[in-house]
Order: sequence, then structure tokens, then C-alpha cells
Amino acid sequence: MEKAPPDGDAATLALETVTKILAAANVNVSGTLRASHDSEADGPVIDLTGEDSGLLIGRRGQTLQALQFLVTSIVRTHHSDVSRVVLDVEGYRNRREVALRDMANKVAERVAQTGRSITLEPMSPADRRVIHTSLSSHPSVTTESIGVGENRKVTIMPRRKK
Amino acid sequence: MKELIEYIARSIASNPGAVKVTQTEEGGQIVLRLEVAPEDKGKVIGRQGRVAQAMRVLLRVAAVKDGTRAILEIM
Repeated sequence: MEKAPPDGDAATLALETVTKILAAANVNVSGTLRASHDSEADGPVIDLTGEDSGLLIGRRGQTLQALQFLVTSIVRTHHSDVSRVVLDVEGYRNRREVALRDMANKVAERVAQTGRSITLEPMSPADRRVIHTSLSSHPSVTTESIGVGENRKVTIMPRRKK
Repeated sequence: MKELIEYIARSIASNPGAVKVTQTEEGGQIVLRLEVAPEDKGKVIGRQGRVAQAMRVLLRVAAVKDGTRAILEIM
């Protein structure tokens, strides 16, 4: 076995927690550690794969998001230095990010042309972050999150002329 | 399904020994009742009910796998 990295404890706890929750939910997916401490996530990243991968992702990634939230909450009760645990299912996060960026750019173009704001459907924090970052340096639109909790969504609006 | 909620609640609670889940069947669906120590109630519900909501999402997956329906009540 490899020597545990300094922050190996949080990563080990994260993997163990994911594995136990999935087993208790009877979901046939297994997890491996991609990174024990990813600098962007500021925490461990776990890859999940198996026959129930589609079920685990859920509609618009809702189930994966719920599992990630619970695992992060549990890990953070023991390791307050970890910001979050990231769970990915067969490259889902990357595919989702590409699709979201594409959509964000198309909507931004329309907002820029019409001069009218467009509000997107409610999204998870991770999805909203992708929209904000992908449009942060756009010359003619700005973004803002509105609403609370499950209903929080991004509005893309024309950048005010100076 | 009982084990799923028990495991999550015990992992989050500061008093895991006080976590109790009872499973009954009512009107064709499984009803899980979660009881925790008073000081842990806020933790298993979470800010804006996010922990409870996440547990319900996972419970739905477990129920789908079992070909049934299940609801979670936090007492």
C-alpha cells in the first residue's frame, strides 16, 4: 500500500463514507480516490463507476450533488480544514461543465443582442459556479445568482455601459 | 433503507448513540422515523433543511433499487 499523504485521513474517511452510504443504499457503484487533496476543490476527489452510475447521477446531477453534500458534511465534522469533497461519476462533471459553458455562451449572446436579461433554471452551487466563471470576463454581460436554497438560479444580464 | 438513514445520521450527530430509526410500512410505502438527541436535531436537518433534503434524495434511490417507495420523517 502507498504511504498515506499528510491529509490522507480526510481522503480515507471520504472514501469510506461514500462506500458505506452506497452499500447501505444498495447502489452498485464503487469508488476510488483520484486525488487525496485537490487544490481547486481544497479537498479529496473520488471517482465512482459501476452499473448504477446513471441512477447515482440522477436528474441534472441532483443525486450526485446530495451524496457529495452529505459526504462533505460528514468529513468536515472531523476535518475542518477540508472545504469540500468532490464526487465524480465516469467523467460526468467534465461533460456537464462543457455543456453548461456552451449553454452559458449561447444565452450570453442572446442577452448581448437583445439587451434583455435572461434567468436560467434553478441549479446546484457547482453548476452556478461554472456559469459565473465562464462568463466572468465576457465583454457585454454580467451574471448574478438570485433566489434561495433549491430555487437559486443565475440571471445573465447586459453589462451596463460606463 | 433503515441502515442508510442510521449510518448517515450517526455520522453527522454529535451523540450517535441517541440516533434511532424505526421502519414501518404504511399504505404500501415504507416510513422511516428518525429520532436524535435534541442537540443533534439541527444537524440532521441542516441549514435550510439541506441535510434532510439530501437524505431524502438518497432514500429515494434506495427505494427505487428495492422497487418500493419510502418517506423520511424527522421526529
